[in-house]
Amino acid sequence: MATENAEHGGGGFAIDPMHQFEIKTLFPMQFGNIDASFTNSSLFMVIATAAVIGLMLTGINRRAMVPGRLQSIVELSYEFIANMLRDNVGSAGLRFFPFVFTLFMFVLACNLLGMIPYSFTVTSHIIVTFALAFFIFIGVTILGFAVHGLGFMKFFVPHGVPAYLLPLVVPIEVVSYLTRPISLSVRLFANMMAGHTVLKVFAGFVIALGAFGVAPGIVPLVFMVGLTGLEVLVAALQAYVFAILTCIYLNDALHMH
Amino acid sequence: MGIAFRLVTELVAGVFVGAAIGWVLDSWLGTRPWFLLVFFFIGAAAGILNVYRAARQIAASAERDADGDQQG
Repeated sequence: MATENAEHGGGGFAIDPMHQFEIKTLFPMQFGNIDASFTNSSLFMVIATAAVIGLMLTGINRRAMVPGRLQSIVELSYEFIANMLRDNVGSAGLRFFPFVFTLFMFVLACNLLGMIPYSFTVTSHIIVTFALAFFIFIGVTILGFAVHGLGFMKFFVPHGVPAYLLPLVVPIEVVSYLTRPISLSVRLFANMMAGHTVLKVFAGFVIALGAFGVAPGIVPLVFMVGLTGLEVLVAALQAYVFAILTCIYLNDALHMH
Repeated sequence: MGIAFRLVTELVAGVFVGAAIGWVLDSWLGTRPWFLLVFFFIGAAAGILNVYRAARQIAASAERDADGDQQG
């Protein structure tokens, strides 16, 4: 395996674009049969949480009338999520501001931390994004039943459908509802993983083509610079999409339009 | 690219969830492959419905943004 890598990777480098997604155990922990080790993934979740808390606390520390840089970031992100909730859920949605804000900042911090070289991208693992999406799904469903009682079942019965079509339409609506956690988690995970794999593959090209001289190596390097910018955009955009879809699901549960 | 990817995941998730439900029901009731067949198509329909709704919602929010720009 090692010789095979050395043969394929130019200049004797072992190029493995998937190596970055490897989970490494830092502190082994075992609860009964459950392996609950503290891994590099857990470490970066802790770093992301600490970074968000640190940003918020230092940002609101001064409380200046004319905000400084950090305070501007905090105020902008607050306004951003508050407006998103107001636009998509209405003023009743502001009750859920802490939830959506935490979710958005956590996903954004995880995505952006993944852009730092040698770091680990938490959101590039489907189980992480699926856990987030599944909790949103369960929470929104409970909320729907809590607000509307059993009347929430009417959500699966669209208006104006003739009775003889209901046996067909209701299963379609139910399956459509059940796809939410899947599409929500797959979208974030696939975007992050695909983007990071492409970055590593192009980085491999830089080395492989650089072996033939400077000029062939420059071309993929230029691409790398562009792709890195694009990847930062994707990181922010996917956090935004995750948050706005949560808002839309909250709206469905609250208003059942 | 973001919008296209969103629509694709909606469609694939619909088919996947439908097929998964059918598979589980078949395993429980021992009726393979009938529920799988039925729910595969229901899932496909749900996926298409999701794509349609997502596209309408994207169009609506684009329109709202355009309106906001004109007023503001």
